[in-house]
Amino acid sequence: MATEKKRPINRLKTMYPLRALIDGMYQRALTASRAGQPVAWCMVNWWQGDPILKAMDVATVYPEDYGAVCAAFGAAQAYLEGAEADGFPAHMCGYARNCLGYTARMIEVGEIPPEAPMGGMPQPSLLLASGALCDARYKWFQALGRYLDAPLWVLELPHPGVKEALMVGAGEGNINFIAQQLGEFISFLEKLLGRRMDWDRLDKTVDNTMEMNRWWHRVNELRRARPCPMHSRDFWSSMPASLYMAADPGETTELYRQMYDEIKSRVDNKIGALKAPERYRLAFLELPPWHSLGFFNQLAERGWNFVIESWAYHPPQPLDLDRVSDPLERLARYSYHWLTGYYPKANEAGERWGYFAYPYLEYVRDYQCDGVVLHPLLSCRTATNHLMMVRDRLMKKLKVPSLVIEGDIVDLKLFDPARALSQAEAFEETMDHYKKLRKEAGFGW
Amino acid sequence: MNKVKIFTAGIDLGSTMTKVLILDGEGKSRAQVTGATGAEHRRLANKVMAQALGQAGLSLEEIGYIIATGYGRVNVPFADCQVTELTCHARGVSHLFPSARTAIDIGGQDAKGLKIRDGKLVDFVMNDRCAAGTGRFLEVTAETLGLRLEELGELSLKATSKVEIGSTCTIFAQAEMVALLSQGRPLAEILAGLHQAIASRVVKMTRGLKIEADVVFTGGVAQNAAVVQAIKERLGHDVLVPDEPLFTGALGAALLAREMALKCLANGDNIPKKERRLEEASLYEDY
Amino acid sequence: MAQDRGMDRAKAIYQNRSQRAGELKAQGKQVIGYLCAYPVLEMMTALDLVPFRILGDIKEPISRADACLPTVVCPFIRSALDLALKDRYQFLDGVVMAHSCDVAEKTAHIWHSYLRPPYFHFIDTPHTTRNSAVKQHKRLLKDFQKTLEQLAGRQLSQERLKEAVKAHNQQRALVRELYGLRKPDPPLISGAETLEVMVSLMSLPVDEGSRLLKQVITEVRQHNSGPPKKPARLLIWGSIMDNSSLIEMIEGLSANLVMDDTCVGSRFYWPDVAATEDPLDGLAHRYLVELKCPRTFRQADPNKASKDYQADLEYRFGYLMEYAKEWRVNGVILQSLRYCDIHGYEVPQVKDYLNSLGLPAIYLEYDYSQAALAPLRTRVQAFLEIIGQGNF
Repeated sequence: MATEKKRPINRLKTMYPLRALIDGMYQRALTASRAGQPVAWCMVNWWQGDPILKAMDVATVYPEDYGAVCAAFGAAQAYLEGAEADGFPAHMCGYARNCLGYTARMIEVGEIPPEAPMGGMPQPSLLLASGALCDARYKWFQALGRYLDAPLWVLELPHPGVKEALMVGAGEGNINFIAQQLGEFISFLEKLLGRRMDWDRLDKTVDNTMEMNRWWHRVNELRRARPCPMHSRDFWSSMPASLYMAADPGETTELYRQMYDEIKSRVDNKIGALKAPERYRLAFLELPPWHSLGFFNQLAERGWNFVIESWAYHPPQPLDLDRVSDPLERLARYSYHWLTGYYPKANEAGERWGYFAYPYLEYVRDYQCDGVVLHPLLSCRTATNHLMMVRDRLMKKLKVPSLVIEGDIVDLKLFDPARALSQAEAFEETMDHYKKLRKEAGFGW
Repeated sequence: MNKVKIFTAGIDLGSTMTKVLILDGEGKSRAQVTGATGAEHRRLANKVMAQALGQAGLSLEEIGYIIATGYGRVNVPFADCQVTELTCHARGVSHLFPSARTAIDIGGQDAKGLKIRDGKLVDFVMNDRCAAGTGRFLEVTAETLGLRLEELGELSLKATSKVEIGSTCTIFAQAEMVALLSQGRPLAEILAGLHQAIASRVVKMTRGLKIEADVVFTGGVAQNAAVVQAIKERLGHDVLVPDEPLFTGALGAALLAREMALKCLANGDNIPKKERRLEEASLYEDY
Repeated sequence: MAQDRGMDRAKAIYQNRSQRAGELKAQGKQVIGYLCAYPVLEMMTALDLVPFRILGDIKEPISRADACLPTVVCPFIRSALDLALKDRYQFLDGVVMAHSCDVAEKTAHIWHSYLRPPYFHFIDTPHTTRNSAVKQHKRLLKDFQKTLEQLAGRQLSQERLKEAVKAHNQQRALVRELYGLRKPDPPLISGAETLEVMVSLMSLPVDEGSRLLKQVITEVRQHNSGPPKKPARLLIWGSIMDNSSLIEMIEGLSANLVMDDTCVGSRFYWPDVAATEDPLDGLAHRYLVELKCPRTFRQADPNKASKDYQADLEYRFGYLMEYAKEWRVNGVILQSLRYCDIHGYEVPQVKDYLNSLGLPAIYLEYDYSQAALAPLRTRVQAFLEIIGQGNF
């Protein structure tokens, strides 16, 4: 975050306007709130609910992101202590505790706390939770009921097992369930907001969302090139526009297109993301240390290029929905595809954990990774549970080694960059060793 | 009722020190002794009791009712009843400071926050899992830095500014302090940071009770002026410290014993004394 | 003790579940392990499969599970997985797991991957209780039926399923009868003994379990070796307790545990499955909507423009007031396993509700280890002293 005179990573020029657009999310929500427009606090819902809210002119704010913001600004501690003083156990999701503490303080003060970073989150008119990937993401919003009387809706996303999802009729049944739930969500919104859904507008918004992600997907496909033209840092800076739908999808699409052009030009001219030669290509799992991203600069100086990261942050592989006229069915299929898109391949490979774990077997191969950095998080079990299995599978099936560096999403003291860097040299030897083994075994990289 | 002269005793078997306090027939302190608890939280406690009896000029049988408290309170062969140190500290604090509504007790191995209303315990928080925020943090620091435990507070008060100790864990904090020393930071500043870390931790723990004045600070660590100062700063207001911060538990136990005994007598009941033996306990209860 | 043959048998099974499983296998039964309360037992019973609840072992230090699961997750699930990796569940002919909590859901895939049981099915239980979710649940149960039929080598008839529903409901009624014997003062059976009986039921085919339970009920009514009268009558709420150590610690103080809201306990047996034309309808509804576990999202009315917190609390926790009244409870222990999120988020809200009833409560977090009990003892005792039900 300080001025990087040496700049070991070639940041994409087109990342900056995207970043600015994303940062504007908080101001936009505050403006909407002051103008008396509805504001929703949302959990990331992988495009199930957000397009619907956008089509009804509801401003969206994401407390998960706000947790990272507060942590990065050093403002989280007071909120965490507030949540713990209110009886929420200290082991729970740091973002949740941050939000609970923030909300308690907001209610106590009677307005947005003056010290809140980025202008804070305005009081919501509704809460949109999601059960996808972890329980905290609806239990936390339920717990907010202690402080807020805003109505709460929980979106469902089926999480079938690989075999169960491939049973006859299972996929369609799951999709019908999601679509039906989305219809119920719209009824709820219409009652709450006192107006009807403009279905043409929803149709367009859904299209724009998918178009946005199509471009974002193309951008990331270009990263397969050697040297990789875009570092994970640029991914993390740019991804909230897709995952959090931080801005209008039309605006975002344009910026992703420009990013695509910039990267394509780099690929054509064999320009990589590092100033130094690319010695190692790495994957990073899962949530990065948002407050210590300078750490990656130091690794970049050693030639470590981070070429791919968290499956959960990536848009789904492209899906042809041209023949699906109902926008709710399109959203349902799309979201379901995000979670289960890899299942058929996982099944063929004999893998039983088709999301979160299996996709890395493809990522690591497709992006030709020499190593993986695993970042277990003390207060995020969801981002940590699969890491041991991933390490195991990557070694057994692809002969790719992993380096484990511990941290937390809000307790920033737990991540020790100095200690992590001290392991770099030894891990380079490990990566060299396995590169040899892969060559001998006939792998492509 | 008050005409009946009954002696009572409270025994606080802490993890390192045992405190015994004997109340006379008017409910005033007649003897106070502290000594090592000994192994397994009990082995030497009977010696401390014997000393106290000697000081009071009383025999074991002459004591009307005896309550044991503290970590080693279970299965004390010379006590009639056992009550938690949480209840006993609250009672002792209320007696010394009738205006008390919150008490913070930091002992050798644990820390407690007590919420007191109308002289009684109504809620509490406790840390007995983690050494940070207890006397142990100070002990380990003294060892690591080659200082005496008693000098830590004095030395830290000399600091004009303080260094922030980031580590929440005692073990990492020691490493951090040694590193800071080798970087040339003044010892007094580092110690000031340490005392602040303890105060921080304990106040944070206690916030769950919604702290209200008057706040009383007791326990062995209350004898450290720098911790007292750090807690005042953290809370933003004054704290009261008893003259003898080690004895609030034993005092509370002895007062409760007196209450119980007088109530029995008023109801015409027998005081439920047990068969007492002034010897070390041979059984160690699992919990 | 010769009179308490049923109780003794229950205790013996509690102490050595795998021996019982071995006996069942020797009789030619197929034993299917299941984790937590969401796998539908009736469907297994109807195909002559014996559902056998997968539990942990508090005395076994966890060593093998660390290779597959991080240490910062539910210690109960880690223990269960650890036992499986040590071949202690080798005897199972198959395993059924459900989306009870996200750690259980992820562990299902890990279990499936590392242990490769001969039969495995994962039921993706929905999170909400709307009608669409119940329909989805029924569809998922139909898929479960398909794989069960493949395992059993025959079709599951509606008649057999209805009989199984009856048989399990009968057991539920008997459990409620046993729990009724905890209403008097003192209760006729202790909390620790009740838990032992529950664990034994979860290790037996349903009819055999019901016979044992009838025997136990008769013995308990007649014996005079029940717990002594104690000033505190407590209810314990929270995460799974699959062994009696915590309860024994509490009952070693001036308290009797007269009621529970946990899943090796009342949550598992309340309420019955409604007798519907298509038995899957009753099952889908009961196991999703009526089973009360915090993993299921329940709220009073989403369509109100402004939430009424107190009404929401009553909707979610009102049954606790019923329990407190009927079992004459004067204090509540809220406990959760370390790292249990679904109960952790719930605690301040349950506390708010109990406060509104004037029922005192204390929250304990515990570690699934016996060493962790000593500090908890002081807390529970202090709580009893606060509510005036202590030693003095």
